[in-house]
Amino acid sequence: MKKETRPRFTGATRYVLDDELARIVNISMALEMPLLMKGEPGTGKTMLAHAIAESLKMPLIVLNVKSSMKLVDALYQYDTLTRLNDSRFGDSSRDVSNIEEYIKMGKIGQAFQSDVRTVLLIDEIDKADTDFQDDMLDVLDQMEFDIIEIDKTIRAKHRPVIIITSNAKKDLSDPFLGRCNFHHIAFPDPKMMREIIHVHFPHIESDLLENAVETFYRLREIDGIEKKPATRELINWIRALEADPDFKPKRLKKGEIPFLGVLFKKSRDYAHANALIHRRRLY
Amino acid sequence: MFVDFFYKLKDHGIPVNPTGFLTLHKALSLGLIGSLEDFYTASRTILVKSERYFDRFDQVFAHHFEGTQLPEEAAVEISEMAKILLEQWLKDPETVSKILGMDASEASKLTPEELIEYFKARLKEQTGAHHGGSKWIGTGGTSPVGHSGYHPGGMRVAGVSRNKSAVKVAMERRYKDYSRSGPLSQALIGEALKRLRHMIPEGPKDQVNIDETLYQTMKNAGEIEIVFERSLKDRLKVILAIDNGGWSMDPYIPVVQTLFDYARAQFKDLKTYFFHNTIYDNLWEDPTRYKRPQKVDELIRFDPETRFIVVGDASMAPYELMATDGSIHLEERSGRPSIERLKAIAETFPHSVWLNPVPSRLWGYTRTIAAIARIFPMFELTLDGLEKAVAHLMAKK
Repeated sequence: MKKETRPRFTGATRYVLDDELARIVNISMALEMPLLMKGEPGTGKTMLAHAIAESLKMPLIVLNVKSSMKLVDALYQYDTLTRLNDSRFGDSSRDVSNIEEYIKMGKIGQAFQSDVRTVLLIDEIDKADTDFQDDMLDVLDQMEFDIIEIDKTIRAKHRPVIIITSNAKKDLSDPFLGRCNFHHIAFPDPKMMREIIHVHFPHIESDLLENAVETFYRLREIDGIEKKPATRELINWIRALEADPDFKPKRLKKGEIPFLGVLFKKSRDYAHANALIHRRRLY
Repeated sequence: MFVDFFYKLKDHGIPVNPTGFLTLHKALSLGLIGSLEDFYTASRTILVKSERYFDRFDQVFAHHFEGTQLPEEAAVEISEMAKILLEQWLKDPETVSKILGMDASEASKLTPEELIEYFKARLKEQTGAHHGGSKWIGTGGTSPVGHSGYHPGGMRVAGVSRNKSAVKVAMERRYKDYSRSGPLSQALIGEALKRLRHMIPEGPKDQVNIDETLYQTMKNAGEIEIVFERSLKDRLKVILAIDNGGWSMDPYIPVVQTLFDYARAQFKDLKTYFFHNTIYDNLWEDPTRYKRPQKVDELIRFDPETRFIVVGDASMAPYELMATDGSIHLEERSGRPSIERLKAIAETFPHSVWLNPVPSRLWGYTRTIAAIARIFPMFELTLDGLEKAVAHLMAKK
């Protein structure tokens, strides 16, 4: 079977992977389609791309999308300013009449020109406007783009593995969705979370782990919170607890929760959670 | 292959397209799919493009490959409720039978199946009634068979899918909480807030950004390139009118209030008023609708650019809306029918919407909903509805 020869993704050192997601990544790679990942912040969307790059030993190229970004910025840049400067002062080794010397590749361009297959992470695509998204997918579909200034077509040497993440701030357009595979990462369940924590803290005491994870999920269940604490907050929180010499895991069980500010970042959420915890302790 | 499955997805309202279907076949022909589990993951990742449809997909998948029954939407609610009732019954038969108005000793002779059927029958009766009359199963009230018993408080996610058949995974309905059709709940507040954040006015692009202009001009190698940006506009004023009479609205009031309270900072002014069933002479600033009235006639003094948002189920007896003395509260009978009042408000505030927790597929069955929907643009009180409502409120008139 051909299957055996294909590079397959099975997880990485700092990333805990579930079977379903591994299957999806492998299918997307085989179909050569971009994989769109959605999910709450802190479910490891961005980490996934890092993990794929690490386990398949491919270089990772990250395109951080910004709201004002034009597609051209992601493809290439024509550095007119340097050229103007060179033509005025002529003290560089570049040939001013050759525009190509002033073309710099953007992230997508770099991925296309790379001599080895790369992982291209397009992070937070939903920040950009719809035109950007649709145009970009055209480029990724064709695997080529034109540099208008020098009338040259850049073709991908190797089709990169494309991972796109979205925080669902805006809805993505239908044609965009049509060309991607889609997966939504649900928030990890406590069992999964324990494994994730183990990956980050290999020597953690089981007492602390159990109590911290349990408290964390209890806090997540508080109603009416704008930004629920996510994996990143939990990891930072555990780091804070470990660093505190006075801290005993037993105190968590009693409903005493130090460093609440690490978990709740919005002042209103913090006040709300704090009030609830104190009320519970009185009874 | 799988054409039936494809059309079944389509019939159940999941936006699937033929290109995706062909891609799925490509995956099949590449030998990527070796088992039903693979097929489940592959078909979902390729065909379904939003987590909101994952739940629906799971149901259709389980139905197609295992023949599980596709639940009717209303029936699910009822059987869930009946299940809760049965649990309550096992714990405390006397109270339950008292509330249901049945004889405990007689009921104890029934088998569990018969009991469930009986509960279901009672629950179906109940869905028709509104205020007054049979209040024995209020949502969130003091009744032991209340709604909150089974309402999931937070996001529930089932375990890792190792060693489980795809159908079992599908039957777990892990994505129920993401489903787009459910009413707004506390768990969805974060998502709902994101929708509300779009309520920010945009001015025309009529101010020159000098820095950007200089930069772009330089980039253009000296050719002048003027960059305009949007001028700032003042934040919006919002009036929120909430129907807080009757238990049918109870679960939604705190959600809506928290929602707008969180978003308060982005508005210039947020006023909350209350009413019962429909609006007559007064709106009330206090939830008890007693102390601080706001005359509806005086609303005209407010800025017409104010966004007027009504939250209510718009379900009542037709005379309450149409008759000159419609109000069930005597002191509110002033001789003008409520429908006239509503029309006046809609005319005063061109940007107005009505958010209704009743699912839109049921709107046709209630005359007053239809009548009010002709006055106010009506949207469901769901994530989707909220999104549409915000888009409507922000549209240029």
